[in-house]
Amino acid sequence: MEFIDLNSLNVIYLFIVGFIGGLVSGFIGSGGAFVLTPAMMNLGVSGIMAVASNMCHKFPKSLVGAMKRHKFGQVDIKLGIVMGISAEAGVLVGAELMQHIREVFGKSGSNLYVSVVFVVVLAIVGGYVLRDAIKMMRSEDSEKEELTKIAKWVHSVHIPYTMMYFKSIGTEISVLFTIPLGFATGMLAATIAVGGFIGVPAMMYILGVPGLMASATELVIAFIMGMGGTMKYALSGLVDVRLAMIILAGSLFGIQLGAIGTTYVKPYMVKLVMGVIMIIVLFSRGTMIPAYLSDLSLINTLSPETISWMKMVSFVLLVIALTVGAVIVFSALIKGMLQHRRELAAGEADATHFSDSQVDSLTSVGRLERIMLVTDNSDFTEGATHEAIRMAKRCKSKLHIFSVLPEADYEIPVGQQHLLLEERRATVARLNEVQVHAEAEGVDCEILLGHGDAFAEIVDEAEYSKMDLIVMGRREKSDLARAMLGGTTAKVIGHTHCNVLVVPRGAKIEGKGIVLPVDGSRYSDAAATAVLTLTKQCPTPVTVASVARDEHQQTEARQRAERVQALLKQADVNANVYIGTGLADEMIAQVTQSTQSDLVVMGSHGHSGLDRLLLGSTSERVIGRVDCPVLVVKV
Amino acid sequence: MENQRALTKTVIYGTLSVTLYFLLYLFSEQIIELSRQGGRYFMIPIVIAFIFSVVHGNFTGYFWDLLGIKAKTKK
Repeated sequence: MEFIDLNSLNVIYLFIVGFIGGLVSGFIGSGGAFVLTPAMMNLGVSGIMAVASNMCHKFPKSLVGAMKRHKFGQVDIKLGIVMGISAEAGVLVGAELMQHIREVFGKSGSNLYVSVVFVVVLAIVGGYVLRDAIKMMRSEDSEKEELTKIAKWVHSVHIPYTMMYFKSIGTEISVLFTIPLGFATGMLAATIAVGGFIGVPAMMYILGVPGLMASATELVIAFIMGMGGTMKYALSGLVDVRLAMIILAGSLFGIQLGAIGTTYVKPYMVKLVMGVIMIIVLFSRGTMIPAYLSDLSLINTLSPETISWMKMVSFVLLVIALTVGAVIVFSALIKGMLQHRRELAAGEADATHFSDSQVDSLTSVGRLERIMLVTDNSDFTEGATHEAIRMAKRCKSKLHIFSVLPEADYEIPVGQQHLLLEERRATVARLNEVQVHAEAEGVDCEILLGHGDAFAEIVDEAEYSKMDLIVMGRREKSDLARAMLGGTTAKVIGHTHCNVLVVPRGAKIEGKGIVLPVDGSRYSDAAATAVLTLTKQCPTPVTVASVARDEHQQTEARQRAERVQALLKQADVNANVYIGTGLADEMIAQVTQSTQSDLVVMGSHGHSGLDRLLLGSTSERVIGRVDCPVLVVKV
Repeated sequence: MENQRALTKTVIYGTLSVTLYFLLYLFSEQIIELSRQGGRYFMIPIVIAFIFSVVHGNFTGYFWDLLGIKAKTKK
């Protein structure tokens, strides 16, 4: 078998087709292959090598797409594996069947068989998917996906020893349903190269999997099928890895974008794109049927010119199918992102029209319009949750409840995935619980989810969503690992630009007293300004604390404290002064206890990375020492 | 911070990705020769595909991140 020569034009052509194919696959879980294979054949690649090279690009592409969408919580890995294995069996049987048909009926006979299967399957399934998408689009609640009667029946059937729980379905179903569906997906993949055209609708309408999850899970099935197919063809030396990797270069850009697109659209969009593509592909295949019928002499013989025209029309229709799909995905992505940005900008636009009361409170504490409560499934965030809800209620702020879900399963040891799932389920349940509690208090709130590295997600989300305050809990101070490595709270304080309120478990702010540690820097001045705002809203005794390292520096420490005391006095706030000598955190903890204060407000120098490691952070040490909430004010 | 992180990772993975494609171009004849033999050499395209998926997959992910095209995390 000959491998073709590649020139730069071919490379660009394959890259672009790969990109568009990837974009569509990332969105609907499959597609691309029906254009890529003929596109490679147009370059002079033999049919079988085009199929083999397409397979070799398909499995790494699906892997990347599945991992990306798994981060968004859209993939049901278990369902994907169960269906993928049965699909692999379907591929082997389908390939044998194709071979048999080719031997018995010849090339035109097998082409006719493929085209008829294509047209019949796509007409029924594609028509149904498109009808459902339009129905959902027009319904009042366009996000709601209703279970079909058959899906309800599948859920109700209980066959002992075959029941398996799937998170995407939310209940146990018998694998005797999933195996034939996977098998049919594989059969179709072997016949028409796009198994997803039956796999995704089957998952949606027969198993009752939501559209977004079905299209994401299809990527796992495609990975398994692609891997199996590549092995089969590679054993015969038919894979041109150069072609596969060039297509992959473009398709990975596309699949990332397609996957991101799914987070901005309503579920019916996936169905719409899939339905539209299926119907156009149907016409493409349908165009070629007369040519095959003519080859088999079942109708009057057509001239070679007519057949070559038909071939061209058929290919152009395939390109149109993919392009239309890509345009819908692109416009949905752009529309979704613009909408999201408009929502964020609306929040900012409000900030340009201040009311008098808002101007009054425009200080270092900010306007507190957007409070971000960071919570997990532990008791450590209990105090933070309570305070955040109370604060949001009092300031009429919008509360954003944020949790970070653990990273993808591939980092989890085999056999322990269920623990991760349990944790995710518990986290989401906890978020819902907090939301219900906050709404019962009349607080407008919203749930946000992050995936991966907790501190980076918190910092990024706070910045991205323009939060005014982050409220979070802290682990127990005896936690050795926290002390040595720095916990999430400390890292967030080091990196974020907005103020952070750290509330220990069981702590409350009741207005008993505020301790304001000062060190003469602009950071502690910012904290002093924040105290002014707080005392204006709720008159509270204030103690300005200044700590000298040794007795020689006591005068300087006193001057620093008195300067801030005078500043507060100007605003009619009477504050006591406390001067201590020794370690700052110890002294601050001591004065907090002796004055029975229930809030420490301090500025942060915002050390991060190496600085923090070498110098340490006073605010971090204070947070670890005191039992009351600490408000860390950022400049 | 967000942008800096994305930029560093895009540059690292981008450089690695370009290097891999350059190596593929440089040794394409040898790779094709071995792939053509099939049999025990079947692992060659599979291993290459896996390596490219990790490196180029990470690069493309961070690339869109850098351009500010990222998933909406709202539930």
